[in-house]
Amino acid sequence: MTRTLDIIIAGGGRVGFQTAEILADRGHDVTIIERDERMVSEIADQWVATVIRGDATNPEIIEQAGIDRADAIAALTGETGLNLAVCLAASELTPDIRTVARIDRTAGKAYTRFVDAVVFPERAGARVAANEILGSDVQTLADVTGNLDIMLVRVADGAPAAGKALTDVRFPEGTLVVSDDNGERIARADTTLTPGSRYVIAVEPDVVDEVLNLMRG
Amino acid sequence: MSKSQTRSPEAELGLLDATMIGMGAMIGAGIFVLTGLAAEIAGPAAILVFALNGVVTAFTGLSYAELAASIPKSGGGYAFVREIFDDFASFIMGWMLWFAYMIAGALYALGFAPNFLELLHVYGVVPSPDEVGAVAVPVIDTALPPAFLLAFIAVLGLVALNAVSTAASGSVETIFTIIKVSILVVFVAFGFASPMFSGAEFQPLFPEGSGAAAVLPAMGLTFIAFEGYDLITTVTEEVQNPRENIPKAIFISLAVTVVVYLAVVTVAIGTLGAEGLADAGEAGIAAAATSFMPTGLPVIQNGGALIVFGAVFSTLTALNAVVIASSRVAFSMGREGQLLPSIGQIHHRYGTPFVAILTSAVVMLGSVALPTQSAGNMSSLFFLLSFIIVNVAVIRLRRERPNMNRPYEMPYYPAPPIIGIALNLILTGVLIEFLLRTDPLALALSVAWIVLGAVVYFALKRVKQQSDREQATAASEITPEAED
Repeated sequence: MTRTLDIIIAGGGRVGFQTAEILADRGHDVTIIERDERMVSEIADQWVATVIRGDATNPEIIEQAGIDRADAIAALTGETGLNLAVCLAASELTPDIRTVARIDRTAGKAYTRFVDAVVFPERAGARVAANEILGSDVQTLADVTGNLDIMLVRVADGAPAAGKALTDVRFPEGTLVVSDDNGERIARADTTLTPGSRYVIAVEPDVVDEVLNLMRG
Repeated sequence: MSKSQTRSPEAELGLLDATMIGMGAMIGAGIFVLTGLAAEIAGPAAILVFALNGVVTAFTGLSYAELAASIPKSGGGYAFVREIFDDFASFIMGWMLWFAYMIAGALYALGFAPNFLELLHVYGVVPSPDEVGAVAVPVIDTALPPAFLLAFIAVLGLVALNAVSTAASGSVETIFTIIKVSILVVFVAFGFASPMFSGAEFQPLFPEGSGAAAVLPAMGLTFIAFEGYDLITTVTEEVQNPRENIPKAIFISLAVTVVVYLAVVTVAIGTLGAEGLADAGEAGIAAAATSFMPTGLPVIQNGGALIVFGAVFSTLTALNAVVIASSRVAFSMGREGQLLPSIGQIHHRYGTPFVAILTSAVVMLGSVALPTQSAGNMSSLFFLLSFIIVNVAVIRLRRERPNMNRPYEMPYYPAPPIIGIALNLILTGVLIEFLLRTDPLALALSVAWIVLGAVVYFALKRVKQQSDREQATAASEITPEAED
C-alpha cells in the first residue's frame, strides 16, 4: 500500500463517523454518504471527509460519491439489510471494489458470501466492555485507551524507514515503537525495522499518517 | 524523549494565522519585485493593473472557497482537481501548479538579489547596484553576475533549511507578515506626506504609443502576485473550523492585499514616477523609498534602508513559502501515485518530504538563470492555467455531485466561475501573445514543461503497469490477515 485509498462510507452515524476519522488520520480519502441533514452538518464541522447527502441505496448517490474510482466501500448504517444492499449495488457498479458490511448479529458471518468482510460493532464493543469490567490490568490490543492507536504494522519494502535502526529514524512526537521484530522482544534503540516484519506501535491519531508513511512508504 | 529529538506536527491555526499565510505569500511577492516591471509596461496605469488583477482573482477566490469548504483535504488546487478529474487531467494540474510555484521561487530569488544589493548599497558596503561588476568564480573560470549568484545562494539556503527541518509554523508566518505590512504602512505614510509626491506623475495615465492596451500584458505579468490564497488551501487541515475560516481567510487576505498594493503602487508612482520605477526594475519600491525617506536617523541611518530591508525580508519569506508550497504539491502527487512514490515519502531522519523538496530545488535553481521578467511571465501563465481548471472543477462538481454537502456556496452561481474562466482565458491569451512577441524563450520553456509532463505521466504509467504485473504473481503471499 504505497498510495492513498479512496474509501466510501455509507452511514455517517457513530460507527461510520469514527471509522472515517481513523481512515482520514491514516491519510486516506474518505467520502461519507449520509441521509440525515443534521448529521451531515455535524460531520462537515469535523472536517474529515467529503459528504454526499442522500440515500446510499440510490445508485445515483453512490455514483456521486465517486464509486468508479473507489478502492473500498463500507456500509456501516444500523440496518443490516440496507448495508448488504449497498455493498451488492457497489460491487455491481465497480466489480473489483472491496466491500465491508456492518451486521447486527453473529449469524451475519454467513454474509461473507456476498461481501468481502463483515463487522459486528456490538461484539467489538462488548469485548471492550468486558475488559473494562474486569479492570484495567489486562487489555487486548485494540481500543485500549481514549484515542491512542495501538497498531501492528508490517514494514514495507522501500519504505523510508525500512532497514533502518530505530535510533536513525526520527518519528514524530506521539509515537512509540513497542515491540521488536514480530513481537518477540521489546524494541530497543538498535532494533532494526526489517522489511516484511511486523511491529507493535502506539501512535497518537494526529501523527498516524506520518508514521505509516515512514513504515509503509 | 527530549523536545529537540522529536517533531511536533500539531499547529492549530486560527483565522488570523490563515489570513496571514495568504497575505504573507501575496505581499512578499508582487509588490516589491513586480511593481517596477509593471510600470515599465503600463506606465502609471500600473495601479490599474493591480486593481484589475485583484478583481480577476476574486472570482477564482470564490471557487477556491467553495472547494476548500466542501473537500476536506489539504493540498490546494491539486487536491481539489484530483477529486473530480480523471488521472491525466489531475496530473497535468498538479504538474502545472508545481511548476508555477517553482518558477515563483526563482522569481522571488531574483527579486531578492537586487534588493539585497540595494540594502548593502544603502549602508555603503557596495557601490550602487548598476556599478557592481560581475563576480569572478574561480572554479568554473567564468564571471557570473552577482545578482544571479545571490539568487542561487538564497534558493540553496532555504531549500537546505526546509529539507532538514519541518517548516516554520503558521505563527511565525504571522509575525513575518505583520512585519512586512508594517514596513509598507510606514512606506505609504511617508510617501503621501513627502513633498515629492505629486499627482502629476499619473498624467498621462496610459503610456504613449500602446495606450490602455498596455494594461493587459502587465496584468499577465503581475498575476502571480495574487497566487497566495492557493497556499491557504494547502494548510486547511491545520486550520481551526476550516469550513468557516478558510473562505473568510481567502476573502480577507485578498481584500487587504489589494488595498495594500494600491496604496504602495500609488506612492511609488507618485514619488518616483513610472519611468523612475521602471528603471529600478525589481528594486523599484526600494528605490522609491530611498528617494523620499528621511536620512540621518540613528542606527538605521537612512529611512530608505528600512524599506529596502522590508523588500529583502519579504522576498526571502515569500521564497521560503513557495519552497514549501512547491514541495507540498510534489509530495501529494507522489502520495497519490502520480509521481515516483519516493517523492511522496517522508525522510526517515529529517521528517520532511525530502525528495519532493530536492526535486523542486533542481528546477528552481535552474530557473534562477532566467531573466526576472521571464520567470514572472511563466509563473503567471501557469497560475492562470491552473486557476482556469479550478473554476472548471467547481462547475463540474456542482453538475456531477449535486448532493455533495457544501458548507460554503458561492453567491450567484454559475456566474462567478464562468466569469473567472473567461477573464483568466483572456489574460492567458494576452500573455501568450505578449510572450510570442517579446519572450519566445519563456513560452518555449512553458510548452516544454507540459510536454515533459505528458512524457513523465505515460512513462510512469508504463512502469507502474509492469510492477503491478510482477506484484500480481507475488500477491498470494501478501493477502491481509483475516481479522475478526
